[in-house]
Amino acid sequence: MILQIKDLKKSFNGNEVLKGINFKIDKGEVVVIIGPSGSGKTTLLRNINFLESADSGIMKFQDEEINLVNPTKKEKLLVRRQTAMVFQNYNLFKNKTALENITEGLIFGQGIKKEQAVNLAEMALDKVGLLDKKDFYPSQLSGGQQQRIGIARATVLNPALVLFDEPTSALDPELVGTVLQDMKRLADEGQTMIVVTHQMSFAKNVATRVIFFDKGEIIEEGKPSEIFEHPQNIRTKEFLSVIAEDY
Amino acid sequence: MKELKIIETLLKGLPNTLILIVGSFVFATLVGVLIAWLYLRKHKGFQAIAKIYLGISRGTPPLLMLLVAYYGLPKLLEVVGININDWSKMFFAIAGLSIGWGAYLAEAFRSAYLAVDKGQHEAGLAIGLSNRHIFLHIMMPQTMLIALPNIENLLIGLIKATSLVYVIGITDMYNVATDLSNINQGVYQLSIFVTLALIYWFIVLIVEFIFRLFRNHFKYVTV
Ligand SMILES: Nc1ncnc2c1ncn2[C@@H]1O[C@H](COP(=O)(O)OP(=O)(O)OP(=O)(O)O)[C@@H](O)[C@H]1O
Ligand SMILES: [Mg+2]
Repeated sequence: MILQIKDLKKSFNGNEVLKGINFKIDKGEVVVIIGPSGSGKTTLLRNINFLESADSGIMKFQDEEINLVNPTKKEKLLVRRQTAMVFQNYNLFKNKTALENITEGLIFGQGIKKEQAVNLAEMALDKVGLLDKKDFYPSQLSGGQQQRIGIARATVLNPALVLFDEPTSALDPELVGTVLQDMKRLADEGQTMIVVTHQMSFAKNVATRVIFFDKGEIIEEGKPSEIFEHPQNIRTKEFLSVIAEDY
Repeated sequence: MKELKIIETLLKGLPNTLILIVGSFVFATLVGVLIAWLYLRKHKGFQAIAKIYLGISRGTPPLLMLLVAYYGLPKLLEVVGININDWSKMFFAIAGLSIGWGAYLAEAFRSAYLAVDKGQHEAGLAIGLSNRHIFLHIMMPQTMLIALPNIENLLIGLIKATSLVYVIGITDMYNVATDLSNINQGVYQLSIFVTLALIYWFIVLIVEFIFRLFRNHFKYVTV
Protein backbone atom coordinates (compact mmCIF):
# COMPACT_ATOMS: atom_id res chain seq x y z
CA MET A 1 0.00 0.00 0.00
CA ILE A 2 1.27 3.45 -0.89
CA LEU A 3 -1.36 5.73 0.46
CA GLN A 4 -4.46 5.45 2.56
CA ILE A 5 -6.92 8.18 3.47
CA LYS A 6 -9.40 7.76 6.29
CA ASP A 7 -12.48 9.86 6.89
CA LEU A 8 -11.28 12.98 5.07
CA LYS A 9 -13.67 15.89 5.53
CA LYS A 10 -13.38 19.40 4.20
CA SER A 11 -15.78 22.35 4.16
CA PHE A 12 -15.47 25.79 2.64
CA ASN A 13 -17.58 28.31 4.55
CA GLY A 14 -20.03 25.71 5.78
CA ASN A 15 -20.26 24.05 2.37
CA GLU A 16 -19.12 20.45 2.87
CA VAL A 17 -17.04 19.59 -0.18
CA LEU A 18 -15.54 16.31 1.03
CA LYS A 19 -17.87 14.22 3.18
CA GLY A 20 -15.63 11.65 4.77
CA ILE A 21 -13.51 10.05 2.08
CA ASN A 22 -11.99 6.62 2.60
CA PHE A 23 -9.53 5.65 -0.02
CA LYS A 24 -6.53 3.43 -0.59
CA ILE A 25 -4.06 3.02 -3.41
CA ASP A 26 -1.55 0.23 -3.91
CA LYS A 27 1.73 0.28 -5.73
CA GLY A 28 1.36 0.23 -9.52
CA GLU A 29 -2.29 1.20 -9.52
CA VAL A 30 -3.64 3.78 -11.95
CA VAL A 31 -6.73 5.20 -10.31
CA VAL A 32 -8.87 7.43 -12.48
CA ILE A 33 -11.38 9.67 -10.71
CA ILE A 34 -14.36 10.84 -12.74
CA GLY A 35 -17.27 12.96 -11.66
CA PRO A 36 -19.20 16.16 -12.30
CA SER A 37 -17.74 19.62 -12.00
CA GLY A 38 -17.68 20.93 -8.45
CA SER A 39 -17.90 17.47 -6.90
CA GLY A 40 -14.63 17.95 -4.98
CA LYS A 41 -12.10 16.06 -7.11
CA THR A 42 -9.53 18.85 -7.12
CA THR A 43 -10.04 19.45 -3.42
CA LEU A 44 -9.30 15.77 -2.74
CA LEU A 45 -6.00 15.89 -4.64
CA ARG A 46 -5.05 19.18 -2.98
CA ASN A 47 -5.63 17.66 0.43
CA ILE A 48 -3.35 14.74 -0.36
CA ASN A 49 -0.60 17.24 -1.17
CA PHE A 50 -1.44 19.57 1.77
CA LEU A 51 -2.21 22.45 -0.56
CA GLU A 52 -5.47 22.50 1.38
CA SER A 53 -5.91 21.65 5.05
CA ALA A 54 -8.59 19.20 6.07
CA ASP A 55 -11.23 19.51 8.78
CA SER A 56 -10.73 15.90 9.76
CA GLY A 57 -8.93 12.88 8.42
CA ILE A 58 -5.87 10.72 8.66
CA MET A 59 -3.38 9.79 5.99
CA LYS A 60 -1.21 6.74 6.01
CA PHE A 61 1.77 7.26 3.77
CA GLN A 62 4.40 4.53 3.79
CA ASP A 63 4.89 3.89 7.49
CA GLU A 64 3.81 7.29 8.70
CA GLU A 65 0.41 8.09 10.03
CA ILE A 66 -0.29 11.75 9.40
CA ASN A 67 -3.09 13.83 10.80
CA LEU A 68 -4.50 15.75 7.86
CA VAL A 69 -5.86 18.55 10.05
CA ASN A 70 -2.53 19.84 11.28
CA PRO A 71 0.37 18.05 9.62
CA THR A 72 3.83 19.07 10.75
CA LYS A 73 6.31 20.69 8.37
CA LYS A 74 8.30 17.48 8.40
CA GLU A 75 5.29 15.38 7.46
CA LYS A 76 4.35 17.75 4.67
CA LEU A 77 7.87 17.62 3.25
CA LEU A 78 7.99 13.84 3.52
CA VAL A 79 4.87 13.47 1.42
CA ARG A 80 5.69 16.26 -1.02
CA ARG A 81 9.17 14.92 -1.69
CA GLN A 82 7.81 11.52 -2.60
CA THR A 83 4.70 12.51 -4.47
CA ALA A 84 4.21 14.92 -7.32
CA MET A 85 1.38 16.88 -8.82
CA VAL A 86 0.54 17.75 -12.41
CA PHE A 87 -1.75 20.75 -12.66
CA GLN A 88 -4.52 21.64 -15.05
CA ASN A 89 -2.75 24.88 -15.96
CA TYR A 90 0.70 23.28 -16.00
CA ASN A 91 2.01 25.86 -13.49
CA LEU A 92 5.50 25.82 -14.91
CA PHE A 93 7.60 28.55 -13.30
CA LYS A 94 7.33 31.35 -15.83
CA ASN A 95 10.70 32.87 -15.00
CA LYS A 96 12.53 29.57 -15.44
CA THR A 97 13.49 27.63 -18.55
CA ALA A 98 12.18 24.14 -19.19
CA LEU A 99 15.34 22.65 -17.74
CA GLU A 100 15.36 24.94 -14.71
CA ASN A 101 11.74 24.07 -14.04
CA ILE A 102 12.87 20.53 -13.38
CA THR A 103 16.21 21.20 -11.69
CA GLU A 104 14.79 23.78 -9.25
CA GLY A 105 12.98 21.14 -7.22
CA LEU A 106 15.83 18.66 -7.51
CA ILE A 107 18.45 21.07 -6.25
CA PHE A 108 16.51 23.09 -3.69
CA GLY A 109 13.75 20.64 -2.74
CA GLN A 110 15.60 17.35 -2.80
CA GLY A 111 19.16 18.51 -2.17
CA ILE A 112 20.66 16.96 -5.29
CA LYS A 113 23.92 18.41 -6.65
CA LYS A 114 23.49 20.70 -9.61
CA GLU A 115 25.42 18.60 -12.10
CA GLN A 116 23.44 15.50 -11.31
CA ALA A 117 20.19 17.48 -11.29
CA VAL A 118 20.89 18.74 -14.80
CA ASN A 119 21.58 15.18 -15.95
CA LEU A 120 18.35 13.89 -14.44
CA ALA A 121 16.39 16.79 -15.89
CA GLU A 122 17.79 16.25 -19.36
CA MET A 123 16.87 12.60 -19.21
CA ALA A 124 13.36 13.46 -18.10
CA LEU A 125 13.01 15.98 -20.95
CA ASP A 126 14.31 13.42 -23.41
CA LYS A 127 11.66 10.94 -22.28
CA VAL A 128 8.89 13.37 -23.21
CA GLY A 129 10.70 14.24 -26.43
CA LEU A 130 11.48 17.84 -25.54
CA LEU A 131 15.18 17.87 -24.83
CA ASP A 132 15.70 20.30 -27.70
CA LYS A 133 13.43 22.78 -25.86
CA LYS A 134 15.39 22.73 -22.61
CA ASP A 135 16.38 26.39 -22.77
CA PHE A 136 12.95 27.64 -23.76
CA TYR A 137 10.76 29.59 -21.38
CA PRO A 138 7.14 28.48 -20.88
CA SER A 139 5.90 31.40 -22.98
CA GLN A 140 7.81 29.94 -25.93
CA LEU A 141 6.13 26.54 -25.65
CA SER A 142 2.71 25.25 -26.64
CA GLY A 143 0.28 24.16 -23.94
CA GLY A 144 0.92 20.53 -24.79
CA GLN A 145 4.67 20.99 -24.54
CA GLN A 146 4.30 22.83 -21.25
CA GLN A 147 2.20 20.04 -19.81
CA ARG A 148 4.68 17.38 -20.93
CA ILE A 149 7.39 19.34 -19.18
CA GLY A 150 5.06 19.51 -16.17
CA ILE A 151 4.92 15.72 -16.31
CA ALA A 152 8.69 15.47 -16.68
CA ARG A 153 9.07 17.75 -13.66
CA ALA A 154 6.66 15.63 -11.62
CA THR A 155 8.14 12.26 -12.51
CA VAL A 156 11.86 12.97 -12.75
CA LEU A 157 12.59 11.10 -9.51
CA ASN A 158 10.05 8.30 -10.02
CA PRO A 159 7.92 9.44 -7.09
CA ALA A 160 5.89 6.96 -5.12
CA LEU A 161 2.69 8.60 -6.34
CA VAL A 162 1.80 11.17 -8.99
CA LEU A 163 -1.42 13.19 -8.81
CA PHE A 164 -2.86 14.50 -12.08
CA ASP A 165 -5.60 17.13 -11.91
CA GLU A 166 -7.29 17.33 -15.31
CA PRO A 167 -3.94 17.48 -17.09
CA THR A 168 -5.45 17.81 -20.56
CA SER A 169 -8.52 19.96 -20.02
CA ALA A 170 -6.77 23.27 -20.73
CA LEU A 171 -5.31 21.97 -23.98
CA ASP A 172 -6.45 22.37 -27.56
CA PRO A 173 -7.95 19.06 -28.75
CA GLU A 174 -5.08 18.29 -31.11
CA LEU A 175 -2.56 18.53 -28.25
CA VAL A 176 -4.40 16.22 -25.86
CA GLY A 177 -3.10 13.04 -27.49
CA THR A 178 0.59 13.67 -26.90
CA VAL A 179 0.04 14.31 -23.20
CA LEU A 180 -2.13 11.24 -22.78
CA GLN A 181 0.57 9.20 -24.51
CA ASP A 182 3.12 10.34 -21.96
CA MET A 183 0.73 9.42 -19.16
CA LYS A 184 0.11 6.00 -20.70
CA ARG A 185 3.83 5.42 -20.98
CA LEU A 186 4.20 6.21 -17.27
CA ALA A 187 1.39 3.81 -16.43
CA ASP A 188 3.04 1.10 -18.51
CA GLU A 189 6.27 1.68 -16.60
CA GLY A 190 4.40 0.90 -13.40
CA GLN A 191 4.11 4.43 -12.05
CA THR A 192 1.46 4.67 -9.35
CA MET A 193 -0.92 7.49 -10.10
CA ILE A 194 -4.24 9.14 -9.38
CA VAL A 195 -5.72 10.88 -12.39
CA VAL A 196 -8.70 13.22 -12.37
CA THR A 197 -9.86 13.50 -15.95
CA HIS A 198 -12.79 13.75 -18.29
CA GLN A 199 -10.93 11.69 -20.89
CA MET A 200 -13.04 8.56 -20.81
CA SER A 201 -10.84 6.76 -23.32
CA PHE A 202 -7.93 7.11 -20.92
CA ALA A 203 -10.06 5.83 -18.06
CA LYS A 204 -11.23 2.85 -20.10
CA ASN A 205 -7.86 1.89 -21.52
CA VAL A 206 -5.30 2.78 -18.88
CA ALA A 207 -6.98 2.81 -15.47
CA THR A 208 -6.69 -0.20 -13.22
CA ARG A 209 -9.51 1.23 -11.13
CA VAL A 210 -12.13 3.92 -11.78
CA ILE A 211 -13.76 5.94 -9.03
CA PHE A 212 -16.97 7.83 -9.61
CA PHE A 213 -17.07 10.83 -7.36
CA ASP A 214 -20.09 13.02 -6.75
CA LYS A 215 -21.02 15.72 -4.21
CA GLY A 216 -17.98 15.03 -2.07
CA GLU A 217 -18.39 11.28 -1.87
CA ILE A 218 -17.08 8.18 -3.58
CA ILE A 219 -20.26 6.80 -5.10
CA GLU A 220 -18.89 3.77 -6.84
CA GLU A 221 -15.56 2.23 -7.75
CA GLY A 222 -14.30 -0.73 -9.68
CA LYS A 223 -12.52 -1.96 -12.79
CA PRO A 224 -13.11 0.23 -15.85
CA SER A 225 -15.21 -2.47 -17.46
CA GLU A 226 -17.42 -2.69 -14.37
CA ILE A 227 -17.95 1.05 -14.07
CA PHE A 228 -18.46 1.79 -17.75
CA GLU A 229 -20.42 -1.28 -18.76
CA HIS A 230 -22.31 -2.18 -15.60
CA PRO A 231 -22.57 0.88 -13.38
CA GLN A 232 -24.58 0.01 -10.26
CA ASN A 233 -25.51 3.43 -8.95
CA ILE A 234 -28.13 5.58 -10.63
CA ARG A 235 -25.90 8.68 -10.33
CA THR A 236 -23.06 6.90 -12.09
CA LYS A 237 -25.42 5.87 -14.87
CA GLU A 238 -26.71 9.40 -15.29
CA PHE A 239 -23.24 10.89 -15.31
CA LEU A 240 -21.99 8.41 -17.89
CA SER A 241 -24.93 9.01 -20.16
CA VAL A 242 -24.33 12.78 -20.07
CA ILE A 243 -20.61 12.29 -20.62
CA ALA A 244 -21.29 10.04 -23.59
CA GLU A 245 -23.16 12.84 -25.30
CA ASP A 246 -20.42 15.35 -24.64
CA TYR A 247 -17.36 13.36 -25.55
CA MET B 1 28.33 81.00 -27.02
CA LYS B 2 25.41 82.07 -24.89
CA GLU B 3 23.81 78.57 -25.16
CA LEU B 4 27.03 76.88 -24.11
CA LYS B 5 27.32 79.17 -21.13
CA ILE B 6 23.77 78.33 -20.10
CA ILE B 7 24.37 74.59 -20.36
CA GLU B 8 27.64 74.88 -18.49
CA THR B 9 25.99 76.76 -15.64
CA LEU B 10 22.99 74.45 -15.41
CA LEU B 11 25.19 71.36 -15.32
CA LYS B 12 26.67 72.66 -12.07
CA GLY B 13 23.38 71.63 -10.48
CA LEU B 14 23.40 68.22 -12.15
CA PRO B 15 25.39 66.29 -9.51
CA ASN B 16 22.90 67.25 -6.80
CA THR B 17 19.99 66.40 -9.05
CA LEU B 18 21.49 62.98 -9.80
CA ILE B 19 22.21 62.28 -6.14
CA LEU B 20 18.62 63.18 -5.31
CA ILE B 21 17.26 60.91 -8.03
CA VAL B 22 19.39 57.90 -7.20
CA GLY B 23 19.24 58.35 -3.42
CA SER B 24 15.49 58.89 -3.30
CA PHE B 25 14.82 56.03 -5.70
CA VAL B 26 16.92 53.59 -3.68
CA PHE B 27 15.37 54.55 -0.35
CA ALA B 28 11.87 54.80 -1.79
CA THR B 29 12.30 51.26 -3.13
CA LEU B 30 13.34 50.02 0.31
CA VAL B 31 10.39 51.79 1.93
CA GLY B 32 8.10 50.44 -0.78
CA VAL B 33 9.24 46.84 -0.31
CA LEU B 34 8.89 47.13 3.46
CA ILE B 35 5.41 48.62 3.33
CA ALA B 36 4.21 46.16 0.68
CA TRP B 37 5.53 43.34 2.84
CA LEU B 38 3.76 44.67 5.95
CA TYR B 39 0.56 45.03 3.97
CA LEU B 40 0.72 41.55 2.47
CA ARG B 41 1.30 39.82 5.80
CA LYS B 42 -2.12 38.84 6.99
CA HIS B 43 -1.46 40.49 10.35
CA LYS B 44 -3.96 43.16 11.37
CA GLY B 45 -1.41 45.35 13.20
CA PHE B 46 1.12 45.32 10.35
CA GLN B 47 -1.62 46.01 7.86
CA ALA B 48 -2.86 48.94 9.91
CA ILE B 49 0.62 50.49 9.99
CA ALA B 50 0.93 50.09 6.23
CA LYS B 51 -2.50 51.54 5.58
CA ILE B 52 -1.95 54.59 7.77
CA TYR B 53 1.37 55.29 6.09
CA LEU B 54 -0.11 54.86 2.61
CA GLY B 55 -3.07 57.09 3.43
CA ILE B 56 -1.01 59.95 4.78
CA SER B 57 1.79 59.70 2.26
CA ARG B 58 -0.36 59.46 -0.83
CA GLY B 59 -2.55 62.30 0.32
CA THR B 60 0.33 64.74 0.78
CA PRO B 61 1.69 66.84 -2.11
CA PRO B 62 5.42 66.22 -2.69
CA LEU B 63 6.27 69.85 -1.98
CA LEU B 64 4.60 69.62 1.40
CA MET B 65 6.33 66.33 2.06
CA LEU B 66 9.71 68.01 1.57
CA LEU B 67 8.80 70.82 3.96
CA VAL B 68 7.50 68.38 6.55
CA ALA B 69 10.70 66.32 6.28
CA TYR B 70 12.88 69.41 6.59
CA TYR B 71 11.07 71.14 9.44
CA GLY B 72 9.19 68.26 11.04
CA LEU B 73 11.64 65.36 11.10
CA PRO B 74 14.21 67.05 13.39
CA LYS B 75 11.41 68.06 15.82
CA LEU B 76 10.02 64.54 15.79
CA LEU B 77 13.41 62.95 16.45
CA GLU B 78 14.21 65.53 19.13
CA VAL B 79 11.37 64.04 21.14
CA VAL B 80 13.23 60.74 21.31
CA GLY B 81 16.50 62.52 21.97
CA ILE B 82 18.10 62.37 18.54
CA ASN B 83 19.47 65.63 17.18
CA ILE B 84 19.60 65.85 13.40
CA ASN B 85 19.19 69.62 13.10
CA ASP B 86 22.50 70.18 11.40
CA TRP B 87 22.35 67.24 9.05
CA SER B 88 22.76 68.01 5.37
CA LYS B 89 19.77 69.39 3.52
CA MET B 90 20.23 66.61 1.01
CA PHE B 91 19.37 64.13 3.72
CA PHE B 92 16.03 65.80 4.35
CA ALA B 93 15.28 66.10 0.66
CA ILE B 94 15.97 62.41 0.09
CA ALA B 95 13.94 61.52 3.18
CA GLY B 96 10.97 63.59 2.00
CA LEU B 97 10.99 62.21 -1.52
CA SER B 98 11.56 58.63 -0.32
CA ILE B 99 8.64 58.79 2.07
CA GLY B 100 6.46 60.19 -0.68
CA TRP B 101 7.49 57.82 -3.45
CA GLY B 102 7.78 54.83 -1.11
CA ALA B 103 4.00 54.79 -0.90
CA TYR B 104 3.54 54.70 -4.67
CA LEU B 105 6.18 52.00 -5.02
CA ALA B 106 4.61 49.99 -2.19
CA GLU B 107 1.34 49.94 -4.07
CA ALA B 108 3.11 48.99 -7.30
CA PHE B 109 4.85 46.07 -5.57
CA ARG B 110 1.76 44.97 -3.69
CA SER B 111 -0.54 44.91 -6.70
CA ALA B 112 2.14 43.18 -8.77
CA TYR B 113 2.61 40.50 -6.12
CA LEU B 114 -1.12 39.87 -6.01
CA ALA B 115 -1.12 39.59 -9.80
CA VAL B 116 1.37 36.70 -9.80
CA ASP B 117 -0.45 33.46 -10.49
CA LYS B 118 -1.09 31.60 -7.21
CA GLY B 119 -0.40 28.35 -9.03
CA GLN B 120 3.27 29.31 -9.18
CA HIS B 121 3.51 29.15 -5.42
CA GLU B 122 1.57 25.90 -5.20
CA ALA B 123 3.69 24.25 -7.87
CA GLY B 124 6.73 25.14 -5.79
CA LEU B 125 5.23 23.66 -2.63
CA ALA B 126 4.21 20.52 -4.49
CA ILE B 127 7.81 19.79 -5.52
CA GLY B 128 9.07 20.32 -1.99
CA LEU B 129 10.45 23.87 -2.17
CA SER B 130 10.36 25.98 0.98
CA ASN B 131 8.14 29.04 1.22
CA ARG B 132 11.23 31.18 1.49
CA HIS B 133 12.82 29.75 -1.63
CA ILE B 134 9.59 30.10 -3.58
CA PHE B 135 9.24 33.70 -2.48
CA LEU B 136 12.78 34.70 -3.38
CA HIS B 137 13.23 32.75 -6.62
CA ILE B 138 9.76 32.46 -8.10
CA MET B 139 7.40 35.08 -6.69
CA MET B 140 9.77 38.03 -6.27
CA PRO B 141 11.25 37.99 -9.78
CA GLN B 142 7.79 37.72 -11.31
CA THR B 143 6.48 40.47 -9.05
CA MET B 144 9.26 42.77 -10.19
CA LEU B 145 8.60 42.05 -13.85
CA ILE B 146 4.91 42.81 -13.45
CA ALA B 147 5.67 45.99 -11.52
CA LEU B 148 8.30 47.18 -14.01
CA PRO B 149 6.16 49.52 -16.16
CA ASN B 150 4.76 51.12 -13.01
CA ILE B 151 8.20 51.48 -11.49
CA GLU B 152 9.46 53.15 -14.64
CA ASN B 153 6.65 55.69 -14.58
CA LEU B 154 7.16 56.37 -10.90
CA LEU B 155 10.88 56.91 -11.40
CA ILE B 156 10.22 59.39 -14.19
CA GLY B 157 7.79 61.22 -11.93
CA LEU B 158 10.40 61.25 -9.20
CA ILE B 159 13.02 62.71 -11.53
CA LYS B 160 10.78 65.67 -12.20
CA ALA B 161 9.80 66.01 -8.55
CA THR B 162 13.44 66.51 -7.52
CA SER B 163 13.09 70.02 -8.95
CA LEU B 164 10.94 70.83 -5.90
CA VAL B 165 13.87 70.73 -3.50
CA TYR B 166 14.43 74.46 -4.05
CA VAL B 167 11.86 74.94 -1.25
CA ILE B 168 14.44 73.85 1.27
CA GLY B 169 17.26 75.68 -0.49
CA ILE B 170 19.17 72.93 -2.26
CA THR B 171 21.02 73.98 -5.42
CA ASP B 172 19.86 71.37 -7.87
CA MET B 173 19.59 72.06 -11.60
CA TYR B 174 16.24 73.75 -11.33
CA ASN B 175 17.45 76.07 -8.58
CA VAL B 176 20.57 76.97 -10.59
CA ALA B 177 18.34 77.75 -13.55
CA THR B 178 16.07 80.12 -11.63
CA ASP B 179 19.13 81.85 -10.15
CA LEU B 180 20.67 82.24 -13.59
CA SER B 181 17.45 83.65 -14.94
CA ASN B 182 17.18 86.13 -12.07
CA ILE B 183 20.78 87.33 -12.37
CA ASN B 184 20.09 88.21 -16.00
CA GLN B 185 16.85 89.97 -15.10
CA GLY B 186 14.95 87.31 -17.04
CA VAL B 187 16.50 88.24 -20.39
CA TYR B 188 17.48 84.68 -21.26
CA GLN B 189 14.64 83.15 -19.32
CA LEU B 190 13.12 81.18 -22.20
CA SER B 191 16.47 79.79 -23.41
CA ILE B 192 17.41 78.83 -19.88
CA PHE B 193 14.21 76.95 -19.15
CA VAL B 194 14.08 75.26 -22.55
CA THR B 195 17.66 74.09 -22.00
CA LEU B 196 16.74 72.86 -18.54
CA ALA B 197 13.77 70.96 -19.96
CA LEU B 198 16.04 69.34 -22.54
CA ILE B 199 18.44 68.15 -19.86
CA TYR B 200 15.60 66.59 -17.83
CA TRP B 201 14.30 65.03 -21.02
CA PHE B 202 17.72 63.57 -21.69
CA ILE B 203 17.84 61.99 -18.21
CA VAL B 204 14.40 60.51 -18.80
CA LEU B 205 15.58 59.10 -22.15
CA ILE B 206 18.44 57.34 -20.38
CA VAL B 207 16.04 55.86 -17.84
CA GLU B 208 13.75 54.67 -20.61
CA PHE B 209 16.70 53.13 -22.36
CA ILE B 210 17.77 51.21 -19.27
CA PHE B 211 14.26 49.89 -18.70
CA ARG B 212 14.04 48.88 -22.36
CA LEU B 213 17.24 46.86 -21.99
CA PHE B 214 15.75 45.20 -18.96
CA ARG B 215 12.53 44.35 -20.75
CA ASN B 216 14.39 42.92 -23.71
CA HIS B 217 16.49 40.78 -21.44
CA PHE B 218 13.35 39.22 -19.96
CA LYS B 219 11.20 39.28 -23.07
CA TYR B 220 10.43 35.55 -22.88
CA VAL B 221 9.25 35.74 -19.31
CA THR B 222 5.60 36.65 -19.74
CA VAL B 223 4.01 36.77 -16.33
N1 LIG C 1 -10.73 27.78 -1.91
C1 LIG C 1 -12.07 27.56 -1.98
N2 LIG C 1 -12.91 28.39 -1.32
C2 LIG C 1 -14.25 28.18 -1.36
N3 LIG C 1 -14.83 27.18 -2.05
C3 LIG C 1 -14.04 26.34 -2.73
C4 LIG C 1 -12.62 26.49 -2.74
N4 LIG C 1 -12.09 25.50 -3.49
C5 LIG C 1 -13.13 24.77 -3.94
N5 LIG C 1 -14.31 25.26 -3.49
C6 LIG C 1 -15.63 24.69 -3.76
O1 LIG C 1 -15.59 23.32 -3.51
C7 LIG C 1 -16.35 22.61 -4.44
C8 LIG C 1 -15.52 21.53 -5.10
O2 LIG C 1 -14.51 22.14 -5.89
P1 LIG C 1 -13.43 21.30 -6.68
O3 LIG C 1 -12.57 22.26 -7.40
O4 LIG C 1 -12.79 20.33 -5.78
O5 LIG C 1 -14.34 20.52 -7.72
P2 LIG C 1 -13.90 19.62 -8.94
O6 LIG C 1 -14.59 18.33 -8.76
O7 LIG C 1 -12.46 19.61 -9.09
O8 LIG C 1 -14.58 20.37 -10.16
P3 LIG C 1 -14.03 20.57 -11.68
O9 LIG C 1 -14.36 19.31 -12.42
O10 LIG C 1 -14.84 21.70 -12.18
O11 LIG C 1 -12.59 20.86 -11.61
C9 LIG C 1 -16.91 23.62 -5.42
O12 LIG C 1 -18.22 23.90 -5.05
C10 LIG C 1 -16.04 24.84 -5.19
O13 LIG C 1 -16.76 26.01 -5.42
MG1 LIG D 1 -11.08 20.33 -10.52
